[in-house]
Amino acid sequence: MLSYIARAAARILLTFLVVITLAFAATRLSGNPIDYIAGQGLTQEDRALLIRYYGLDRSVAEQYLAFLKSFFDGEFGLSYVERRPVSVVVAERIWPSLQLLLSSVALTLALSIPLGVLAAIWRNSWVGSAIMSFAFLFYAVPNFVLATFMILVFAYWLNWLPVVGNGSWAHFIMPTIAMSGILIAGLTRFTRNAMLDVLGQDFMRTARAKGLTETEVIFRHGLRNASITILSVIGLQVAGLAAAGSVVVESIFSWPGIGELLVRSAILRDYPVLQFGVIAVSAAVLLINVLVDIAYGFADPRIRFGKA
Amino acid sequence: MKRLLVTTALALIAAMPAFAQEITVGAANVAPYLDPGRDHSNVGSQFYYNTFDVLIERDYDKLEVEWKPGLATEWSIIEPTVMELKLRDDVVFHNGDRMTADDVVFSLNRMYQASFPPYQVRARDRLENFDRAEKVDDFTIRIHAKREEPLWETLINLQQVMIIPEKYTKALSGDPEVAEDSDFEAFSLAPVGTGPYRVAEFVPGERLVYERFDGFWGEKAPLERATVRRIPETASRVTALRTGEADIITNVAPDQLAMLEADPSVKVVGAPTALFHVMIMNQNHERMKDARLRQALSLAVDRNALNEGLWLGKAVVPASHTMEEFGEFHMPELNTFEYNPERAKELLAEAGYNGEEIVYDCQSTYYTNGMLAAQAIVEMWGAVGVNGRVNVIEEWTGGKPEMMVRCWSNPMYFADPFGSFGVMWAPQGPSESEGRFNTDEEYAGIWERFRYSSDTGARKQAYGELMERIEQDAPFLPLYRPYESWAMRTNVNWAPKPGHIPYVLDFRAGSIDFASN
Repeated sequence: MLSYIARAAARILLTFLVVITLAFAATRLSGNPIDYIAGQGLTQEDRALLIRYYGLDRSVAEQYLAFLKSFFDGEFGLSYVERRPVSVVVAERIWPSLQLLLSSVALTLALSIPLGVLAAIWRNSWVGSAIMSFAFLFYAVPNFVLATFMILVFAYWLNWLPVVGNGSWAHFIMPTIAMSGILIAGLTRFTRNAMLDVLGQDFMRTARAKGLTETEVIFRHGLRNASITILSVIGLQVAGLAAAGSVVVESIFSWPGIGELLVRSAILRDYPVLQFGVIAVSAAVLLINVLVDIAYGFADPRIRFGKA
Repeated sequence: MKRLLVTTALALIAAMPAFAQEITVGAANVAPYLDPGRDHSNVGSQFYYNTFDVLIERDYDKLEVEWKPGLATEWSIIEPTVMELKLRDDVVFHNGDRMTADDVVFSLNRMYQASFPPYQVRARDRLENFDRAEKVDDFTIRIHAKREEPLWETLINLQQVMIIPEKYTKALSGDPEVAEDSDFEAFSLAPVGTGPYRVAEFVPGERLVYERFDGFWGEKAPLERATVRRIPETASRVTALRTGEADIITNVAPDQLAMLEADPSVKVVGAPTALFHVMIMNQNHERMKDARLRQALSLAVDRNALNEGLWLGKAVVPASHTMEEFGEFHMPELNTFEYNPERAKELLAEAGYNGEEIVYDCQSTYYTNGMLAAQAIVEMWGAVGVNGRVNVIEEWTGGKPEMMVRCWSNPMYFADPFGSFGVMWAPQGPSESEGRFNTDEEYAGIWERFRYSSDTGARKQAYGELMERIEQDAPFLPLYRPYESWAMRTNVNWAPKPGHIPYVLDFRAGSIDFASN
């Protein structure tokens, strides 16, 4: 188990270094931030003055080294526009993003696994068809369309739900649904398929033959064996959600999270914040992958011992 | 019974102030820092006037310039280059410090003798003529100009020379006796002024909370609390107004107006912004060198059609680089720019234009309708035989030699042609130093008279001559003044004031109140 975790950690470290370098390189391709920080109408002389002041006159290699170094002082550099340490800017926003992510994952798990199991068991009845039709519908609707539609109906017309920020539990409803809509749809389908694969296996017949109730058969033998497939799908989808979904949904609902921050820093060319934001999201994706890897080990002992 | 009615009425009146006057503003953007000195952005200028004061105020209800005492009670020119100002002696900063001449001298010299690079940059384009401020006594100061200054009051009324506390600022970091760069950086996150609202909470780029400052020297602020929060998505801003999460929203897009105007719970106010969207042309690009080609590219643009198509006719198409806000310097009679496709065709033929591609650079979403205007302009060029192409580019290309034509804007930083045309098109100014605009001795000579003549007639004459040069050299075409709208709940009475620079959210006494329902 330990060597298993160690190997996973080494892989992550390497990925992380690649991510850091890519984040640094990609941000430098998008123009000089001075044009965004200082606004319009600078003479070349003044532009040069500000470029020096913000340390943008240093060579790319120097900037890269300073950037790596900033990881060790724990501040991750200074935001060009806000003039605060990046760590402070990002720290304000981690919790709101995490809250939204967790509520979305919770809603996804709470709905899609039971729905998927039901759809598998009742695959030949109208219940199964209805569940799958909804799943297809939600799978096809992008989150910004779903979000805008909900805003129109529940906020603009009915005036039931708030649209700005994360002030109360009611603020969570629409963003959570917008974030998890596509996840619920995807995971319901995968759960159904994974269950269908398992339901036809020999050991299921054996379980029934030894006198277990149908519920025990489905949950102890069926779902347990389907869980590996389900886990990897959750891992992939939640990782994708942390990276992309939050950017769109947080912007629409003015959610003070990392995704909204990323959009703003990209517009303002606030490299230090943007770089770190990209890295933070990548770290979240990596972390989710590790958690899934570890969870595999629990779900399937063969993986734990490196035999799979 | 009568007595009961009277008591009830009295009780009601007594209870009225208990209604906390609070509002929430949903803004497309909240400033990432708050320092009136270094800032001249459209986002930032929304926020300073509530918190900071200038020495000389103006009546913002009027378009015509009328100066009023601000932190200075009186002022006079005591020598051709020296102005003396008497200060109010009852002014307190939000941190409790009493304002004296030291604070005023500090605030002015932070710009006039700037050592902090962001201040140096802002001072250079508009405050270049000011040498220093000095203290005479605790409530008297003098400002020394390098040359005779025709725009004294205008340039003392600027946002950049709003007054900040000396002691507080210097003590923000490092040595409390010295003004270091880091002090000014820290100030921009914890701003303190003398205005009717103090900044109670500021999350950069996200949220700003104003609270009434009871120690304000002037008329009491009408609101107890005003929260400005960022709502970047237009649809969410509009919805926030409906759900009651916002009382006022900024930057309402032209295509949302009809829907909002149809809603009885909401009202919309708007005005043409004191800012031009412009099309700039590179005089030094090999393909663009012939002035006749540039003139043709300008004459081919039907700006009224752009206004009708993109702004529902609400934008203002200028005859020259001039605005009503310039007061006596508003000179629409100059007729510098016009639409004349026939003349454009002739000029193209004279210039020997042979179908070479002309590229129009523009960001995708930076300017409202900017990309649509770019596409329409290229079509209009096509109608006179120009082979144009829109190049969507997020980067600022105005300083690149390969730039041919691009979208830009010329804001009015203060109400004078110098504050709009002047900042961008001065000899050695931004446009020339970026290598896309050329001036010569003649231009510089006219410029001198325009900037420094003490006689209004002479300045107007010179401005007219500058516009003739612009017509000949065709370095740019002002397209229109965009129309900006704000929407609010019907019980809120607020509107942008004509005397302010664009975008100011003025919540001072007399600028906002609530209709009794």
